[in-house]
Amino acid sequence: MADIQTYSHDAGWKHTVLRGLLYLVLILFAAYYLFPLIVMISTSLKSLDEIREGSLISLPRVVTFDAWNYAWNEACVGVECTGIKIYFWNSVKMAIPAVLISTFLGAINGYALTKWRFKGANIVFALLLFGCFIPFQVVLLPMSQVLGKLGLASSTPGLVLVHVVYGLCFTTLFFRNYYVSIPDELVKAATIDGAGFFTIFWRIILPISTPIIVVSVIWQFTQIWNDFLFGASFASGANAPMTVALNNIVNTTTGVKQYNVDMAAALLTGLPTLLVYVLAGKYFVRGLTAGSVKG
Amino acid sequence: MASLTLDKVRKAFGPVEVLKEINLAIDDGEFLVLVGPSGCGKSTLLNLIAGLETSTDGEIRIGDRVINDVHPKDRNIAMVFQSYALYPNMTVRKNITFGLEIRGVSNQERDKAVADVAKLLQIEPLLDRKPSQLSGGQRQRVAMGRALVRDPDIFLFDEPLSNLDAKLRVDMRTEIKKLHQRLGSTIVYVTHDQIEAMTLASRIAVMKDGILQQFDTPQNIYERPNNMFVAGFIGSPSMNFINATLSEDNGKLAVTIPRGGDPIVLPLFEAPESYHGYVGKDVVFGIRPEALTHKRTGSDEPGSQYVNFDSKVEVIEPTGADTMTVIEIAGKEIVARVRPDRAPTPGESMTFSADMSQISLFDPDTELRI
Repeated sequence: MADIQTYSHDAGWKHTVLRGLLYLVLILFAAYYLFPLIVMISTSLKSLDEIREGSLISLPRVVTFDAWNYAWNEACVGVECTGIKIYFWNSVKMAIPAVLISTFLGAINGYALTKWRFKGANIVFALLLFGCFIPFQVVLLPMSQVLGKLGLASSTPGLVLVHVVYGLCFTTLFFRNYYVSIPDELVKAATIDGAGFFTIFWRIILPISTPIIVVSVIWQFTQIWNDFLFGASFASGANAPMTVALNNIVNTTTGVKQYNVDMAAALLTGLPTLLVYVLAGKYFVRGLTAGSVKG
Repeated sequence: MASLTLDKVRKAFGPVEVLKEINLAIDDGEFLVLVGPSGCGKSTLLNLIAGLETSTDGEIRIGDRVINDVHPKDRNIAMVFQSYALYPNMTVRKNITFGLEIRGVSNQERDKAVADVAKLLQIEPLLDRKPSQLSGGQRQRVAMGRALVRDPDIFLFDEPLSNLDAKLRVDMRTEIKKLHQRLGSTIVYVTHDQIEAMTLASRIAVMKDGILQQFDTPQNIYERPNNMFVAGFIGSPSMNFINATLSEDNGKLAVTIPRGGDPIVLPLFEAPESYHGYVGKDVVFGIRPEALTHKRTGSDEPGSQYVNFDSKVEVIEPTGADTMTVIEIAGKEIVARVRPDRAPTPGESMTFSADMSQISLFDPDTELRI
């Protein structure tokens, strides 16, 4: 009896030490990743004078939101000094339709590829999969020609089209892998019940797709919102998305470098994706594993 | 309700032929069970009837209507699946009425139909639950409710009980049989379980490798199997097969089983015409365990259907009602079904009675019944 007690006490002590070490390592990693963010936030809340006087890592003595206000309303992007807000809305107008359309099309594709298998379905899927591995740069030139011919060059709808086409491969892959794990008998039962392709999709398949819809939305939103290359190539001037505008603000070489404004603008740019992760992050991990493990 | 006819139905996936010329016909109100080992094509056959797959050749008729090119929803059939295939996002009520809703049945009629079915299957308290909140047996009932509510010509069951535990399976089997007796509906039922086939069917179709082996009533299939496959597949424990020769002695036919020492000679009780061609040749002697028992009273009298022989007992397996007694004859293990109070101890020698009125002889080459 005594032996057992000593043993368990010993194990408990070891356990605590190991736990402590584990948390130490985790905290170190978390700090490593959080540090740049903290610097950005604190810099954005300082005045320009304070930045010039103090060190990079010191916290602001006087918290001021002037830099945020300036970045949003007045910052100069190129020659236009309208702030970053119009570009923020450009990005919203681009990202939301593009995310919704590509997710919806991916869902239909995945559904058709798994539940209504047609001759050559595997080849179609392989080609779509191949699309995931095509680098952005490869499609730039042909895409610009297509957009020009469609009359969508340098416009937000043009960017939406580009992102839908490029994102389709990924969303199809997500939905296909998710739908593979849904029993075919469900579709057979609904067929005998008299439902057709779209009725089954709307009434049965889509309502049970929430986890993978969340994955697809997060993935697509992050990709599209953060995209710089397509934005810089296919939309210029007043139609540019936020990432392009941010670059133009930060890289302006005239005048004094306004670090606080740069930081505020960068944070504003990153905020939407951050928000999406905070709100739906746990579904993302859950849905990603559900789709991939069973697929 | 309607009759069902399959006329020379074939199905091939590319070069692989999974169903070879299936001919089946059942009358209105019959309970047909398709039974066979996995991969025998029974589920494919059911899918052809349902219209979920199309046949390569042949004709399928419900009543007088050829349905080969009719869409599943217009065949007036209902199907119960092995995985139940309940719509996970809908309540039980919605699950049951989904088919009616799609067909544009009015709200009032739907409510009445679902109430009737729920009462019949005793699932009234479950109507507002989701499938994930139901037990296996309850899901099974809901799946049946979904089929019943449509009042179809033919019910199709695809291994509906194989996901249930043993006890529940027996209960549901009885319920399905009761339901069939009450509704008098035409049913096609797929299973790999021969006991389910025997207990439920009015006629059984035994299949193997896409070929219909035998199509007959359960009793006929049990007593007069067409070939060794059917004989071995139906019945548990399965039929004993012993290599023997058919001999003639004073105009009476007998099965002679060679073994070390004296052979066992079992005079036949009846000798159909077809046996005579096999006199002096090798045959496979098939006898079910229950026809091979401890010594019966009256078995010594001349002209009895029972024939006695002695053998050493290897192993005994008590099941409660009977004791399965394993003996070895000609290098093969043979199971006899003995009353528990007459059960021997292993190693002991004992007299067995073979009921020669319940035997089958097979051709060793073709494996067909003689």
